Amino acid sequence: MSDTRPAPVDVIRSATERTGTTGGLARALDKVFPRHASFLWGEIALYCFVVLLASGTYLALFFDASQAPTTYDGPYGPLQGVEVSHAYASVMRLSFEVRAGLVIRQIHHWAALLFVASIVLHMMRVFFTGAFRKPREINWVLGCTLLLLGLAMGFTGYSLPDDSLSGTGLRIADSVVLSIPVAGEWVSSLLFGGSWPSTIIVSRLFPIHVFVLPLALLGLIGGHLALVWRQKHTQFDGPGRTEDNVVGERVWPGFAMKSIGMLSLTAGTLAALGGFAQINPIWLYGPYDPAASSADAQPDWYIGWLEGALRLMPPLEIRAFGYTVPNPFFPGVLLPGLMFGALYGVPWIERRFTQDHRVHHLLDRPRDAPVRTAIGVAALSVVGVLLLAGAQDVIADTLSVPLATVRRLLQIGLLLVPAASGWFTFRLARSLARRDDPSVVEIRRGDSGGYAERPEASSR
Amino acid sequence: MNDRRGALFGFGLSAVGSVGFVIAYWTDAGSRWLGAALSAALLGFGVGLISWSKAIDDGDAVEQRHSLAADDAEVDALSASLSRTSELTDRRSLLAAVGAAVVALGAMIVVPLRSLGPRPKGIGATPWRAGRRLVTSDGRPVDPGRVGADGLLTVYPEGAQQDGNGAVIVVRLPVEQLSRRTIDGGAVDGIVAYSKICTHAGCAVGLFQADSRRPDVIHRLLCPCHQSEFDPADGARPVAGPATRSLAQLPLTVDADGNLVATDGFDRPVGPASWTWP
Repeated sequence: MSDTRPAPVDVIRSATERTGTTGGLARALDKVFPRHASFLWGEIALYCFVVLLASGTYLALFFDASQAPTTYDGPYGPLQGVEVSHAYASVMRLSFEVRAGLVIRQIHHWAALLFVASIVLHMMRVFFTGAFRKPREINWVLGCTLLLLGLAMGFTGYSLPDDSLSGTGLRIADSVVLSIPVAGEWVSSLLFGGSWPSTIIVSRLFPIHVFVLPLALLGLIGGHLALVWRQKHTQFDGPGRTEDNVVGERVWPGFAMKSIGMLSLTAGTLAALGGFAQINPIWLYGPYDPAASSADAQPDWYIGWLEGALRLMPPLEIRAFGYTVPNPFFPGVLLPGLMFGALYGVPWIERRFTQDHRVHHLLDRPRDAPVRTAIGVAALSVVGVLLLAGAQDVIADTLSVPLATVRRLLQIGLLLVPAASGWFTFRLARSLARRDDPSVVEIRRGDSGGYAERPEASSR
Repeated sequence: MNDRRGALFGFGLSAVGSVGFVIAYWTDAGSRWLGAALSAALLGFGVGLISWSKAIDDGDAVEQRHSLAADDAEVDALSASLSRTSELTDRRSLLAAVGAAVVALGAMIVVPLRSLGPRPKGIGATPWRAGRRLVTSDGRPVDPGRVGADGLLTVYPEGAQQDGNGAVIVVRLPVEQLSRRTIDGGAVDGIVAYSKICTHAGCAVGLFQADSRRPDVIHRLLCPCHQSEFDPADGARPVAGPATRSLAQLPLTVDADGNLVATDGFDRPVGPASWTWP
């Protein structure tokens, strides 16, 4: 070939003739992303969201958000002739009669579970490495909001089929709303269109789930990514890595290929789960009936800690001046309010104690900040104990231990486990950090009787 | 070279998976085949891309960071633009006016939310009235003889079976176990009736923990959602779990036909409490 010009030149020229710019694409393609595996969680969360949008759009084409009664006459025998809502019937039709409907429905549900899980893991990475520090406080706040929106997405989504499990979940949600001081009764009435049982809640949750929340998520994810792009990624310390550079792979072609590859792997994993792992079989739960709640009914995992908090709360309510603050207020409103308040405040709370106003692009290892790491582990263990409590009846049943014993142990555990795990983590992190500290030299007495530095300690 | 082969394998698997998906869809082969084929198509594509990117990987690149902060001149320019307020002759009163207008706009915008629901009333109200018979889900009245020991019967107000708050549980207990107030609350031969709607979070109280081998053990009603327990022999007062309030008792008698009937409605609303509850 005699033509020595790179192939795309003509295309680029023709594009710039029309837009007047190369769009900064050259710089974008040269951008460098770090390679560390812990950075994948945010990407996976994003790709779960992509799968959610695609699969959810398909589901929405078949869903009927009406709670008007109809008689089920589909192919699922045990429910034939049973009065169900149109919403429930449409999900049944999607699961049994629409070809590929069930697999896409199950992919959607699994994607929701993994979406929240990967957000949580991503936040753990950011927290334990101190990536939330200046200049990334805004992105921490956006991330906390994305977690909240993810929870809201999950709850509004699994409430749509109007089955026994989701109806019971909504009933509990209503009791939490009712428990809000002063405004609770009004908020409940406006939300559910009157007092329980609601006949329109599904038709209200539907536009929230498919329009309002996805739009908010899209906007905030856009802002989140734009800030990452602008601020560039953090990176762990290492040879050649400083506060002033980013070492890793260029966007084009390596990172782009790997990232699209991750999208494919995420979607492929979700497809396998959707095909082989049954989830939310609403035909086994049956339609919602306010007079029936079944035992070992579990919400999706990311709501389980709230369910656990409701279960462990001692029987306490406040009655004064003719008004009442009912029991669910404390575990259902106050506790999550405090927890999310603390989560949002992380960058500012830490700064208050460290007085560290510097810009950080190099990450801490968890051992480098023992107090932060200990607090993080303690906070996670709170959620862990609450999550276990969300299954206390199943635990009692499986282990043949009286329920009262399990509840009491979990209540004690809720106080002790965070303290113990925090203390243990602090000690562990500090000793690991000391081991790595080059200024600490271990002297040992050798076999010959002389003293020597331990070689591996001194070589660090 | 290995990565090259991985890429070839991945893209090949992907193509096979995609074809497989179409075949599985066409033949209505079911969720497992669809999931397996879709998964192969996507996982294969991912493996292909990632292997390929590894095959052409030429090591780390380095990009320099630049300070995010704008320089002083830019900051000053923006600050000057923002404080270009000389045309506001009376800044204070105008600011107050625009503030008031914004607040009014905000208040105006939320007002239509009022249409979403009625003024809250009748929370926990039920159709139970004096003389209303207890019927089972198939609409049949309840002969006291049908209420066995160690069992739990769910009944509804006759003519209003669909009401979301009306469900009632009926149990039979040894008369000598019943407390004074439970008997006064309207028990018939050891048969007592309580609202089925849990006072904690509104789930249906379902399980009746009873041990027929040990009749001395107190039977308890258990809510499956948060495991509150209630003592049916003593006005269904809460004895374990998060519930703070008793299940409301439905006063019973037997009518001329020998069926269970309510002598009155509940003396309070049923279900979870809220702010204005005493």
